[in-house]
Amino acid sequence: MSSNIIEMKGIVKEFSHVKALKGVDFSVKKGEVHALLGENGAGKSTLIKILTGVYPKDGGEIFFDGEPVEINSREDATRLGISVVFQEFSLIPTLSVTQNIMLGKEIHKLGVLNKKAMHKEIDDLIKRFDFPLKPDDIIETLSVAQKQMVEILKALSTDARLIVMDEPTASLSAKESEMLYKIIEQLRERGVAIIYISHRLEEVFALSDRITVLRDGQLEGVVEHEDIVPDKVVKMMIGKELSDATASRPLAVSDAETVLEVKDLCSLGRFEHVSFDVKAGEVLVFTGLVGAGRTEVLRAIFGADKFDSGEILFHGKKLPKGTGKVIAEGFGLVPEDRRTQGFIPLLSVERNAACTNYDTLSSGGFVKVDKEKELGEKAVEIVDLRPRNSQVIVGNLSGGNQQKAVLAKWLTRDLKVVLIDEPTVGIDIGAKDEIYNFVEELAAKGVAVILVSSDVAEVLRVAHRIIVMKEGYIIHEFNNGVVTQEDVLLACSGIIPGEKEA
Amino acid sequence: MNKLKENKFVKKLLQEKRLLVLLALILFFSLLLPGKFFTANNFRNILYSISLQGIMICGATFAVLLAGIDRTVSGTAALAGAACCTTIVNFGFSWQGILLGVLLGLLMGALSGLFHGIVLSRFEIPAFLLTLATSEILYGLVQNITGNQLINVMNAKAFNWVGSSRILGIPVPVYILAVCFAFTYIVLNKTVYGRYIYCVGGNKQAAKLSGINVKKVTIIAYTISGIMGALSGLVLSSMNQQASASQAKGYENDVLAAIVVGGVSLRGGEGTIQGAMVGALLIGVLTNGLQLLGIDPVYHDLIKGIIIIFSVAVDMYANYKKSGLKRDGFFKRHKKVKTHA
Repeated sequence: MSSNIIEMKGIVKEFSHVKALKGVDFSVKKGEVHALLGENGAGKSTLIKILTGVYPKDGGEIFFDGEPVEINSREDATRLGISVVFQEFSLIPTLSVTQNIMLGKEIHKLGVLNKKAMHKEIDDLIKRFDFPLKPDDIIETLSVAQKQMVEILKALSTDARLIVMDEPTASLSAKESEMLYKIIEQLRERGVAIIYISHRLEEVFALSDRITVLRDGQLEGVVEHEDIVPDKVVKMMIGKELSDATASRPLAVSDAETVLEVKDLCSLGRFEHVSFDVKAGEVLVFTGLVGAGRTEVLRAIFGADKFDSGEILFHGKKLPKGTGKVIAEGFGLVPEDRRTQGFIPLLSVERNAACTNYDTLSSGGFVKVDKEKELGEKAVEIVDLRPRNSQVIVGNLSGGNQQKAVLAKWLTRDLKVVLIDEPTVGIDIGAKDEIYNFVEELAAKGVAVILVSSDVAEVLRVAHRIIVMKEGYIIHEFNNGVVTQEDVLLACSGIIPGEKEA
Repeated sequence: MNKLKENKFVKKLLQEKRLLVLLALILFFSLLLPGKFFTANNFRNILYSISLQGIMICGATFAVLLAGIDRTVSGTAALAGAACCTTIVNFGFSWQGILLGVLLGLLMGALSGLFHGIVLSRFEIPAFLLTLATSEILYGLVQNITGNQLINVMNAKAFNWVGSSRILGIPVPVYILAVCFAFTYIVLNKTVYGRYIYCVGGNKQAAKLSGINVKKVTIIAYTISGIMGALSGLVLSSMNQQASASQAKGYENDVLAAIVVGGVSLRGGEGTIQGAMVGALLIGVLTNGLQLLGIDPVYHDLIKGIIIIFSVAVDMYANYKKSGLKRDGFFKRHKKVKTHA
């Protein structure tokens, strides 16, 4: 008998010759809560997918309870007693709690279901954990937290000895999160080991018995319970050798003219009491965790969503409502998810760039085709699209070039304010740099830029000022002195560096 | 610059693929039916036979380009015919009555389209369901108006002229189709509204965030579709010299079939009116050829059905390839697992 429920040794994983995991060791003791930390792309999810049989490993060994095992599918993992509670629920909304948990392992006799026995089994299971659930509750009537409990019950019903929780609190309210923490305590007492993945550092620090930190596909270190110090762990995540332009950044309040002023903006369930201003030529970055309400603020300003109360002033005057009117004032939005919101995949770069420009490209409702073509050529020139062809279908371009096509929609216009939401997600490093250059160029031309980003390196690369949002509120603003990645990361989790604030 | 040319050339060739099929089909029937198929008279017949559906296609294509569908084109045709003929009868077959009847018929189409546009742009109802339901309502209305009787307008000579005359040897309905086609071609290719149709159909969210008034675009599209449906119904009444309660029933399927065969994607944002018209011609030529060959009409629908399935499959495959969703993960992964185990 081993004291480790799971032990992964020298795990290697390659994706088309790029090493995602370079020989990682990872072990979890029986009945402990073990957090897995690392920045995006550090290899957390790849490791978990190997553990649960989603990906095959390219090297290394896995021991379960001391025995060497091969995990080739989800079923293999379940058989061993490894379960995953996913962010997106894998429950069937129209079925009951019982039906969902017993799915695929129904108690039956010659195909006739024994509903009583199943009901009893689930009832016992619920009572054992004292969850606020009934066996006959229909999934779609339950709250997010309750659904998660059903997921956990589903895992426990297969006698799980190790449960992986991937961002379990991402869509929970504070109260619901508290409930989850209690459940985790219960599970720990029962000897179930938990691998906990979360971007919310404060809860990781509070819950974990041990923490494993990954960076760039390698094991950075394992932190024992008594050594868990937030600053230290964050330093491990970021890495020490990071000393270039993105490690820290001096910030300052610009004395240029205020372009946009947002006063006490509220939208129920999205964000509350959001107030800030942006000056000409300034890059104001909104950071925070996913779901903090940043995207929603941008959309409200842009007129894409309604808001309940508050004011948006553009050069001191009320900004008209409705996307079309806001665009006419000189606004542009580069949305969060370019594929679903940014571009029209079947159309050419020219047509995509033109779709915001027909006010100047037409007369009497008819398109001036020559001018449209000119604009296409100009757009390709401005954003340095590769290939330099305005007739290419945007859906066929690489991620970086697609984002350039989206930028082209706005850079061909006379912009005053541009709202940019997570511009470099899924884009290679070269294209990232180009996009930062566009942001800098825009600012240099006097355009007010509001940029939303969760990527700390990106935040520090472009920001003149940084606003941190959490759960719908602005919780902090960095506007002077030198800010480091640690400061920003901690602030996103609600740990404000008090002394550094002026 | 060179690449640009190349691209256009390839595109044209691809577009002409259906044209090639059409020509092949014509050649096929010409060889099989010497002296019968390849005659001016027969081509006139083919054009005449597709003119009603063709006019509807010029409207319904707008809806399909918006990733919608308009199954009410036949219902509006029946309503317009009934309203028009009733008016003509009530005004004693005078020219004022004819004028009023035609205007009233077109107005009915416009109102029906306006209604669909408004509902579809405000609520997230699938266009298929809405128009399926409202086409029943429209036929119900027609039955009320006509009292389930044929409304005979044989005495309205000026009205019937359209359906029964030729100019330069070509039936008048074919000219009307040509005008409708020109209208739709110009709107889709030369106007800002046409550009917006492709934007909204291609990605509604992105169009909205580019400041395009998606609601307005939708409402106009369905209104045009309604008017074209009504126009087709008026021509039909003029051909038959009467209006009936079940007028044009089933045409919506032919219309949709032609649009899809013509390469207009049901997912919206892709396809041309030229393509849809070639689709109509393909089906028209096929039906005509099969008739001339003396093949039992029972098989006509069967063959038509197979052709529709084939073109939808081609459309879906092309979209799948284009979408970038193609991943080799699944199969490769499972193969790898095996070699591993």
